[in-house]
Amino acid sequence: MKDHEPGAYPEPPKQTPVVEKETALPNPALIGTKLFYYSVDLPVTKFREIIDSIRGRNKYYYYHQNFRRVPDLTECVEGDYLCYYEAEMQWRRDFKVDQEIVKIMQDRLRACQTREGPSYLQNCNEELKKFDQVAKAFDARYGDLGANANSRRCLMKQKQRMMEKPQMA
Amino acid sequence: MVGMSVLRSAAALAGRLNPLKSNIPVGTLLSGSALKTEKAVVRYGSHGKKMFIIKPSDYYDRRFLRLLQYYTLLTGIPLAAFITFVNVFIGDAELAEIPEDYVPDHWEYYKHPITRWIARNLLDDPAKEYEKMMALVQMEQEKTEMRNLQMQVRRHMRQKGDGAWFQVETIDKSLIDYSPKATPDN
Repeated sequence: MKDHEPGAYPEPPKQTPVVEKETALPNPALIGTKLFYYSVDLPVTKFREIIDSIRGRNKYYYYHQNFRRVPDLTECVEGDYLCYYEAEMQWRRDFKVDQEIVKIMQDRLRACQTREGPSYLQNCNEELKKFDQVAKAFDARYGDLGANANSRRCLMKQKQRMMEKPQMA
Repeated sequence: MVGMSVLRSAAALAGRLNPLKSNIPVGTLLSGSALKTEKAVVRYGSHGKKMFIIKPSDYYDRRFLRLLQYYTLLTGIPLAAFITFVNVFIGDAELAEIPEDYVPDHWEYYKHPITRWIARNLLDDPAKEYEKMMALVQMEQEKTEMRNLQMQVRRHMRQKGDGAWFQVETIDKSLIDYSPKATPDN
C-alpha cells in the first residue's frame, strides 16, 4: 500500500491529438522533449530504480495506530482528574485528525484547480462545496480557540453555540 | 634687455601654469620653452601593471570563515554521509494495514528508520509515558482531596468545638484551691 492513493486524484483522459508531420523541417518541440528525456528524465529514473532495488531487499512496514475511545469531558465526574486527562488527550488527537482532514480537502481543491487549468471556476464546484462545508465546520468547532486550545475551552465554545442557536432561530 | 628676459620668463611661467594645457614636465626653470614629452603607449603581455593595492587586513575574517567551515564540516560530513547511507540502503518503511491478531510494537508506528531506532532504543513507549503522567495526575488528585478534606474538618472542628482539634488544655482539677469558698461571706 502506498502512502497516497493514486485513485483519489484521478486525472481526466488525455486529449492530445496525434501529430501528423506535414513538413520536412524538424519539429523544435519534439527535439526539446527528446533532449529533456535523455538528459534529465532517463538518468533520474535509472537512479531511482537502482535505489529501489537496493532498498527492496529488506522490506518492513509501519502502521497507523488505532486508539480506543475513552469517556468524553461531558461524561467525567467533577474532580476526577484522571478522566479529565484522558478526555483531554482524546480531544487533542481528534483536533489533529480534524486539522489533517482540512488539509486533505485543501489538497483536493488544489489538485482540482491544477487539473482543470483555466476552466477551474466552472468544473470544481463539488470540491469547492465540500471544502466550504468542512472549513465552516472546523471554524465553528475550533475557530478562535487560539494556541492554548483546551478540551474544556472547546466545550465552552460548544455551549456558547448551543446557547446562541435558539436565539438566532 | 632685462625687461625682455623678465617678460620671457613670465611667459614661460604662464605657459607652464596654464590649466588648459596638459602637465608637461619641464627640464629646468631657466629654459625658455617647455619640454614636450609624449606619453608612451605600452602594450603588456601580462594582465597589466602589477599594482600593490593597499587595503586593511582580511586575514582575521578569512581565518574565522575557514575555521567555521572546518568545524562544521568535521561532524557535518560524517553525519550527512551516515544519513545518506541509511536512506539509500535501509530506506523508509511502507504503510500497511495492521494484520489480524497482531499488536505492533510502539516503534512500528513510525516511518523513517532513524526515528524508529530512536523510538525503540532511546525513548519510552508512548503508552508508558501516558501511564506515567496518569500516575502523577492521580498523586496530585489524592493530595488535593486530602487537603480539601483537612480544610473542611478544620473549619468544622473550630466552629463546633466538640472535635479532637482545637482543644485547649486546662489545668488539673485537683490543683484548684477551694479554700476561699469555705467562708462565703468574705
